[in-house]
Amino acid sequence: MTSQTEPQPDAQGANLPHLKDLIRRADAAAFPLLVAETRRATQFALALSLNNLRKRAEIAGLGPTDRATLRVALIGGATLRPLADLVEHFTSMLCAAKVDIWVGEYDSYISEVMDPEGELYAFKPSVILVLPAAGRCQYKGTLADPVADQRAQAEAVARDLLDLCQSAADRSGAEVIVCNFALPPYFDPGPMRSSSLGSDYSFRKYVNTQLGLNRPSSVHICDAEFLANRLGTLRAVDDRAWFESKQPYSAEMLVQLAREVAETIASLKRPAKKVLVLDLDNTLWGGVVGDDGVEGIEIGTTSPRGEAFRAFQHHLLALSQRGVLLTVCSKNDHDKAVEPFVRHPEMVLRLGDIVNFKANWEPKSENIRKIAAELNLGLDSLVFVDDNPAEVEIVRQFVPEVTGICLGDDPSLFASMLRDSRLFEVSSLTKEDLERVSLYKQDAERQQLLGQSTDMDAYLTSLQMVGHVASFSAVDAPRISQLINKSNQFNLTTVRRTEAEVLEVMRSDRYEAFTMRLTDRFGDHGLILVVVTRVDGDDLLIDTWLMSCRVLKRGVEQETMNEILRLARRRGCKRVVGLYVPTKKNGMVSGLYPSLGFSAATGEAGRFILELTDEAHFSSHIEISRSDV
Amino acid sequence: MTKDDIYGKLQGIFDNVFMEEVKVTPELAAKDVEEWDSVTHVSLVLAIEEQFKIRFRVGEVESAKNVGDLVNLIALRTK
Repeated sequence: MTSQTEPQPDAQGANLPHLKDLIRRADAAAFPLLVAETRRATQFALALSLNNLRKRAEIAGLGPTDRATLRVALIGGATLRPLADLVEHFTSMLCAAKVDIWVGEYDSYISEVMDPEGELYAFKPSVILVLPAAGRCQYKGTLADPVADQRAQAEAVARDLLDLCQSAADRSGAEVIVCNFALPPYFDPGPMRSSSLGSDYSFRKYVNTQLGLNRPSSVHICDAEFLANRLGTLRAVDDRAWFESKQPYSAEMLVQLAREVAETIASLKRPAKKVLVLDLDNTLWGGVVGDDGVEGIEIGTTSPRGEAFRAFQHHLLALSQRGVLLTVCSKNDHDKAVEPFVRHPEMVLRLGDIVNFKANWEPKSENIRKIAAELNLGLDSLVFVDDNPAEVEIVRQFVPEVTGICLGDDPSLFASMLRDSRLFEVSSLTKEDLERVSLYKQDAERQQLLGQSTDMDAYLTSLQMVGHVASFSAVDAPRISQLINKSNQFNLTTVRRTEAEVLEVMRSDRYEAFTMRLTDRFGDHGLILVVVTRVDGDDLLIDTWLMSCRVLKRGVEQETMNEILRLARRRGCKRVVGLYVPTKKNGMVSGLYPSLGFSAATGEAGRFILELTDEAHFSSHIEISRSDV
Repeated sequence: MTKDDIYGKLQGIFDNVFMEEVKVTPELAAKDVEEWDSVTHVSLVLAIEEQFKIRFRVGEVESAKNVGDLVNLIALRTK
């Protein structure tokens, strides 16, 4: 097959002599090479010889010893050999299984399914492949019949076939794979080919659509229509082979069909990949951002290469929208690596689309291990793509569980390579798949925004924080008491209070006390701050100030002071007095009051004073909403 | 393509299709090879068409009684 991304026919099988040699010497490297060659093979003769070599390798004891056995039954309206040999080979290679095959009689599939005592069920298949007769997928009537009649007949054909498959599934407990119908390659009947459902072409196409839309969950479609279209419908048929031995398709198409069946079986057993690990320079954009600068990279509609990179990013975004987690692993300075995501106008992907961003000078294999650990996913759910063959090779060696794709040097093919990689295929999409990305994004987005430490103000603004200030309430008392008795680090005085004492503070006139909850655009942090102040003549004394360390340096400290100042003014105080009682654990706040403009009281360690002025105010990026204070 | 070329290429195809070692000679026939049944025969014909980039006419391979006849057919279609 001549295509952009597949090996040329002449290049196939180049490893055959080497492979034969490995098997002759009973070398363990034979089996992995056999699998790799099988993946690439599109020629019929090559597939046959790989099948033979596999059998020889198995006889020599080279295959994995712990393989499960798959029992595959083939039934249908055509001769199913040599297709069955190919199915056995591809399934055995792509599913890493031992495959037992049972083949039905020519065109006996309906009676085989219907006979509960028959050989089909005695074989106890785990998979049944149904290759229905194309002759049964024809409109009986004329091209000129009303479309409604034609449509009804097509729907009946699809329904009968699905019912048959459902029976086979019910009676055997097997997964059923049914091939749909390749479209005829011929011009006949001309314009009416597509303007009437009575033509073989349109009728089959409609039946195929009905099969796909109405399949029950235990019936899977092997899309022969698509495979033949991809190959070329003229190349998919072989009339001589049909008349001589009732072959359903050309030899070349049989190879495609067998591989597809194997892929379908494999996809039933193993989940699709979940994470895409992306290189940056010459993968997401052209050029090296560290050298060329954000203005110098190629991305966007101003050049053909830039457009190709942009199209690749669009495809990545589409993958992300159906549940694939996008991550970055790049050898770069972090600040430079994030810049295009933040401020290049032609970038499609933005920081918010990347759930984990690793740009540093550590080996990529290390970063990839970290990404998997941080996302709490197995290494085998990761796919790594890079334009540099050396990086892909190193990752293959050091993290062999990860699938590596070398994109090469033509960005116009990047999206196609991923589209043809078969790694991110889905048989169905659940709500969880779609929510997974946003869940990971919440966590990651906070981290990544913080990663742009170059502009802390922009980060804090983008968080869209709201602080909800409230006086103590009976409802909050348990939580307040819990925080008071648990907080050690950001806790100025470490005064402990029981729930009853908290309620007493709440009711007493001597105290002004409040809490703060913090929300940002990613979610709710809950109750994160407790302050208790006491009026002492002209002074408002800060008896207790504690805060959750998770919201450190977000501006909560500043807004807390604003609230304290407001209360001091309301109570007619002239000074605010802060206390710091050092413990083994609260060293982090030893400098808090000086940093907020308090001066140390002379002769009294741990006592800090702020004179109250009218204009005293602290600015932050938190919007305050207040109740009952 | 000379007859020798055809025999050489055919030997490669036989090596791929059959597990057992089969020496290709003009006199060789299906009955001489245990694996050469009607099923492997189909595979053999399909592989020959693919590898020689030829197309047999319907029914004509059936008339070939041995490898010599088959080589004559291939020669006819590769002209």
